[in-house]
Amino acid sequence: MSDPATAPALLEVRDLVKHFPVRGGILNRVVSRVHAVNGVTFDVRKGEILGVVGESGCGKSTLGKTVIRLLEPTDGQIRYEGKPLHELGHRDMMPFRRKMQIIFQDPYSSLNPRLTVRKMLREGIRFHGSVPEAEIDDYIVELIRQVGLRKDAADRFPHEFSGGQRQRIGIARALALKPEFIVADEPVSALDVSIQAQILNLLLDLKENLDLTILFISHDLKVIEHFCDRVLVMYLGHIVEELSCDALHEEAVHPYTKALLGANPINDPDDRRELEVLEGDVPSPFDPPPGCPFAGRCPLVEDRCRQEMPPLVDRKTAGHRVACWAVEE
Amino acid sequence: MVARFFRSRGARKFMANRLAVAAFLVIAGYLLVAGLVWFTGIITLEETLGRIGASYQPGLWGAQRSGKRIEDATFWFEVAQNAADRGDFETARGGVAFYERRLTGELDADEIKARVARGIALAKEVLVVEGFDESASVLPKVDEIDAIVVELFPHPEGWDAFMYGARHVLGTDRQGRSISFRAIYSIKVAVQVGVVTALFAVLFGSFVGAAAAFFGGWIDHAVIWLYSTFSSIPYLVLLSVLVYMFNDTSVDKTLIPLYVAFGLTFWVGPCRVIRGETLKIKELEYIQAATAIGFSRTYILIKHVIPNTAHLMFINASLLFIGAIKGEVILSFLGLGVKSGPSWGIMISQSKAEVVSGFFWQIGTATVLMFVLVLAFNILSDALQDAFDPKHV
Repeated sequence: MSDPATAPALLEVRDLVKHFPVRGGILNRVVSRVHAVNGVTFDVRKGEILGVVGESGCGKSTLGKTVIRLLEPTDGQIRYEGKPLHELGHRDMMPFRRKMQIIFQDPYSSLNPRLTVRKMLREGIRFHGSVPEAEIDDYIVELIRQVGLRKDAADRFPHEFSGGQRQRIGIARALALKPEFIVADEPVSALDVSIQAQILNLLLDLKENLDLTILFISHDLKVIEHFCDRVLVMYLGHIVEELSCDALHEEAVHPYTKALLGANPINDPDDRRELEVLEGDVPSPFDPPPGCPFAGRCPLVEDRCRQEMPPLVDRKTAGHRVACWAVEE
Repeated sequence: MVARFFRSRGARKFMANRLAVAAFLVIAGYLLVAGLVWFTGIITLEETLGRIGASYQPGLWGAQRSGKRIEDATFWFEVAQNAADRGDFETARGGVAFYERRLTGELDADEIKARVARGIALAKEVLVVEGFDESASVLPKVDEIDAIVVELFPHPEGWDAFMYGARHVLGTDRQGRSISFRAIYSIKVAVQVGVVTALFAVLFGSFVGAAAAFFGGWIDHAVIWLYSTFSSIPYLVLLSVLVYMFNDTSVDKTLIPLYVAFGLTFWVGPCRVIRGETLKIKELEYIQAATAIGFSRTYILIKHVIPNTAHLMFINASLLFIGAIKGEVILSFLGLGVKSGPSWGIMISQSKAEVVSGFFWQIGTATVLMFVLVLAFNILSDALQDAFDPKHV
């Protein structure tokens, strides 16, 4: 396998914008827009795990769902192996639907309660013909084994499983089509800590064995740090910093990334440090103010920050980008 | 498939609820009777319209007071007298008009006339006695009158006796028709209206509601507009207008006007409920997962959304079934519903005058049958909701 740091880009996202119109009034006009994703640009390289981190409502799930076109982008470009996904119709999307799958956050609402595991998996396999008809049953048994469930799970209904087991079924469904790229939308945040580790290890094993590329969305920087190769830090629809996970603590320069790192608990009760708590709240995503969205809470805020959004610029280290006026090269 | 259904969690929960099982059996009984009437014709429409005896006879378990016995006897004397006057014994003997109760073949015309004369004379003697209805002193004479009736019209035997009993067990109405047979035939009418209406309304309403919510846009607006319009009209008024519209057309005497009226109004309920449920389901992650696989919108609607509203369809069907039956009874009571043949509504409407004079057999039969059916269905739909709603654990 090629080294993720130098591998070619599998998915290129350029200036992606996703706005949700808010309708109201007697004529059902668009009264305002939620700016969920506000012009983000990044690459996902083949074979890497790219983390996306940010607090609730920062647009990270919307980003994940938009890049695989579960949501229609408002503007911008998405290229998969050079093909412009944002221009494709339903029929032309089909081969890419097979290649790109998603694992959801809530294992309770992500499985159709009326289908057995076997039916759930077979449905998609048949639809794409990814496995010959005669081999489907064997393939399903193999899949179930692969995600660490017992063989007899195939003919059970979702309500017969625990949360962790359901998440494994969700992973099996995503893998059933033999995808190349998986969006993992907070796959462990609804699970107990002990189960979280199991699911993360399972994902790592599967990634190695099946040569997957993963976009891993989480609000937990600790999980991202251990699991991912690179990380995108999002704040209110913008990427504020992009850096390698190996040097997260040393290289992080954006004040928001630093605040996130500082908020991680330390597993030593004697090591007490002064905690820098961010003041204020995230601005409303309805028609946000111009300038840097973080300006209202930033300890390094300057006048310029309130008027002009800083661009995402490269730093000295390769693959390190940051959007901040206050951080000097 | 069936075996798996009975092993399913919902079915087991349902079976554990004794009241629900009892209600289910009651409903199954009603459906069985309706099916028998419909398919085997054990009770025909003609039988519910034919005269079986004197008017306002109480049921067999009712108080057999002298007055009623004499009324009944007088009726049979008149039948015999008419036959003798016309010399036409065959009609009366053949049982065309009165089913199992036939004029005896062992007496000739003169003997029949003699017994009728004796019976009428006895009846006159009794009727002049002050307060004869309560007086025990007239009983020997009344018994003798009854004996003459039996001599003229012998009690039937075997199967005939059973049918005769069944026909008379709940008495007769003003035209001397069998209340029990009319009430049983009404079960068939009610079930027919209920089943057709519930099936149509639930299937149509659910599909329209689900499609509206799932596709959204102008389809949703059109459906909302349509059902808001329908539900803003008081439904009995709309029904009356629709039924009036069919007056004097070729389908006037059939149940078709009722079906049209109920079909147009009843789909609104399931449509609204299923639309709401679909709005909820379509945002769930398993729908997004299906989209990510690449299924078409229509496939997702049919395969993933609608099956998950099935519990609501069941509940709505059982509610609409009784709703339609109650509607049929109300319309028939007003003279707008069933126009040929019996119906509980027609029976209750007819008994308006009877109740004042203390005759409760007809209204009692019709209301008890309807009450038991509606109660059983309410219990059943509650139990269905408990057992099959995925949210109930």
